[in-house]
Amino acid sequence: MTLPSYCYVQPAALCTFGPEYEQKSGESMNIKVRLLVGFAPLAVAVTLAATASAQHAQPAQQTDTRVSARSAAHDATQEVVVQGTVLNYSENSVSRPNGAHVTIQTSTGPIDVHLGPSSYLRSHHFLLATGDSVRFVGAMSSADTGSVLLARIAQKGSQTIAIRSTRGFLLATGATRSLSNEQRAQASQNVSAR
Amino acid sequence: MNAKAKRRYGLLALIPLTSLFVACGGGGGSGPTPPPVGKFSNASLAGQYALSMTGSELCGGSGSVFTRVGSFTADGNGNITAGLEDINVCAGTATLEFTSGRYSIAGDGRGILQLTNSTGTTNYSIALSSTATGMIVQTDVSATASGSFQRQNPAAFSNTAIAGGYVFDFNGIDVNGSAVNPASYVGRFDADGAGSVGNGLFDSNIGGALSGQQLFPGGAFYQLDTNGDGTRFGRGTANIAGRSFAFYVVDATRLKFIGTDFPSALVGDAFAQQNIAFTTASVIGSFAFLIGGSSSSGPISTGGRFTADGTGNLSNIVLDENNSGSITLLPNGTVTGSYTVDANQFGGGTATWTDTKSGSFSFVFYLISPSQAVFQEIDSNIVSDGTLSEQTTTPISGAALAGDYVLGWTAVSTDEEDYVGQLTLTSSGSLTGHVDLNEFATGRQFFDVSLSGNLVLNGDGTLANSFTTSLQGNATPFHFTAYVANQNSIYLVGVDNDRVIAGPLARQP
Repeated sequence: MTLPSYCYVQPAALCTFGPEYEQKSGESMNIKVRLLVGFAPLAVAVTLAATASAQHAQPAQQTDTRVSARSAAHDATQEVVVQGTVLNYSENSVSRPNGAHVTIQTSTGPIDVHLGPSSYLRSHHFLLATGDSVRFVGAMSSADTGSVLLARIAQKGSQTIAIRSTRGFLLATGATRSLSNEQRAQASQNVSAR
Repeated sequence: MNAKAKRRYGLLALIPLTSLFVACGGGGGSGPTPPPVGKFSNASLAGQYALSMTGSELCGGSGSVFTRVGSFTADGNGNITAGLEDINVCAGTATLEFTSGRYSIAGDGRGILQLTNSTGTTNYSIALSSTATGMIVQTDVSATASGSFQRQNPAAFSNTAIAGGYVFDFNGIDVNGSAVNPASYVGRFDADGAGSVGNGLFDSNIGGALSGQQLFPGGAFYQLDTNGDGTRFGRGTANIAGRSFAFYVVDATRLKFIGTDFPSALVGDAFAQQNIAFTTASVIGSFAFLIGGSSSSGPISTGGRFTADGTGNLSNIVLDENNSGSITLLPNGTVTGSYTVDANQFGGGTATWTDTKSGSFSFVFYLISPSQAVFQEIDSNIVSDGTLSEQTTTPISGAALAGDYVLGWTAVSTDEEDYVGQLTLTSSGSLTGHVDLNEFATGRQFFDVSLSGNLVLNGDGTLANSFTTSLQGNATPFHFTAYVANQNSIYLVGVDNDRVIAGPLARQP
C-alpha cells in the first residue's frame, strides 16, 4: 500500500495514518549524492566479434561467522512501529546517521529516531517539539553513536510524512519526482532560470 | 564556513556576475585586457565543450534532484557564441539553445561562466585542468550542481564516428509509479557505426535491488540528431540498457548521457573500451577507486585501493567509507578478497572482500581497459558507483606529486554543497589555493575562498594518505583520506563525521 502522493507535499491534514501505512509494501523516494570522478578514456574503433551472454562468474563466497554487518542499514523485514513523546529534537544532530534526530520516550524507554535532512521536514511543514506525541514506522539499526530507528514513516497527530522508501532510502530530493503532473506543475512554478 | 566567512563571501555572492566579468577583464569591455598571471587566460577556453552535471534545485520549496548535459562554444575571448543543453528538472525534460553567455578565466585556471537560454541565465564556477577539460559547479541561489566538461571534436559528430565498444556508468534516481529510489547502471555495448547497438550488458542497482548482469532489452540504438543539432552540437538520442537518453559527443572515445525517462533522472558517461579480450589476467597490479551514492542512512562515499594478482586474488585492501557520518576503515580486522572477470571476455567482473570485523564489500566492474573501469557497489542498502583506476607502480613521493591541481568535490552536510577550485601542492606536502562553493542549504555562494592544508604520505604513498585542508574563515578543517591513482590524479574521500564529501584532484599542466 502506498501513501497518497499528496502526503508528500502538504501539511497532510488529509493524510491519515491508518493501518495500511504500517504495511511494508509502500513506495517512495530517496536522497542522493553523486560524486563526480573523472577518468580518461581509451580510444577503440573495432567492434568486438564475440557474442555477449549475461552472467558474471561469482568469486568464492567468503563467509566468516565473526563478521557483523556494517552499521545503520535499514532492514525492511524488521520494521517496527514505535510511539511516544518527544524528549528532544535536533535538526542537525551529532548522532549518526547525519541529519535530524528525535529522541522519544516510549513505554519501554527512550529511542533515538533518524529523520534525514531537516530541510525536507521543514519543507513539508513537519515540525517537532518537546512533548509532542509521535509515531514512527521504521527499522532499528546500529550506528557508531548507538542504536537508532531509521524512520520510514513519521506521524504527528493527523500529519503523516514519508521519510524513506520501502527499500529504506531517504526521500528528500527525490520527492518532487513522484508528484502528479498537476502537483509537479504547481511545484515548478516560479522556478528560476534553467 | 563560519558566520564571519559567510558574511564576507556572501557579499561577494550578491555582486552580479557581470560585474565580476568586468573586474576580471573578461571580454566585452573597452580598453586593453591586462595579461593574465599564470598558465591560463580566456584564450584557454576556446571551441566546443560538452558539459554534464547533477545537483539539487529548489522546486516548490523543496530540494529536488536535477541533471544537465549540453554543449557550449567559447570564442577564446570571454564570449559564449552558441550551445545547446538537455535538462531533466522537476518540471520535466527540455532541450534549450544557448543564445548568449560570457566567461572569464584567471591565470590559475579558475573562472566563471554564464549561459543564457530562453529561460534566463545560469551561473557557474569552473576550473580548467587543461584547455581541453575542467570541473564545473553551478552557483545559482536556487540550484547547485557539480560536474565536468571536455572539449568536443566536431569531426566525431556522426554515427559513423561512434563505433566499437563502450563502457558506461549512469546514476541518479529511478521513478516507477510512486516508487522513487537511487539508481546505478554500469555496463558495456558495441556501437556499429550506423546507429545499432549490440552485445549490450548491464548491471543495475535500483534502491538496492540488483539486476545481476543482464542483456540489453530490445530497442537499443543511438542516433545523432538529424535536425542540425547533431552536426552543430554533437547531440543525439539513444536507448541503452532499456533506458532512454539524449547524449552529446565529446569525441569518439567519450559520450555524455542524460536520461530522458522523466520523472526518472540519470546522468553519466560512456567511454570507448579497449578492443581486447578481457580475462582474469587483465586485472593485475594496484588499483585505486572512488565511488559515491546513497545508503539507507543517507549519502555515502567510499575510497580505497587493492592489489590484484592476475589470477583472481586481491590483497592489500584498504578502504575508507563515510556512510552519513559513520566511518568504516579497512583493514579493521583481517581482510581477504577475490575477483572474477566474465568468461565472455567483454570486461565485466566482480570483486569482493571481507573484513573479519567490518563485514563484506561486493562490487561489479566493467573494464574500459586493463587500467580503468567503472565500479559499482552491490552491497545491501547501498547504491554507489564511480571509478576504478590502476595505481602507479612506483612509490609516490612528495616531489612527484608537487604541482598544480584542480579540485571538484561534492558534499552533503545538512544539504548538498559543491566545491570547485585550484590548489598548488609543494614537495613538502603543503598546499594553498582557492575554491568557490555553493551551499544549497543556505542558498549562498562563496567565491575565491582561500584554502590551505597539507598532504601527508603514508609509506610509499600507494595506500591511505592523509589530506587536510582548511577554508579561510572556517575553523574546522576538512579531513580526507587520499588515494593516489597516479601522479596526475588523486582521489579524496572525506572522513569527518559531520560531512560526506568526495572528489578528485586532477593535475594541471
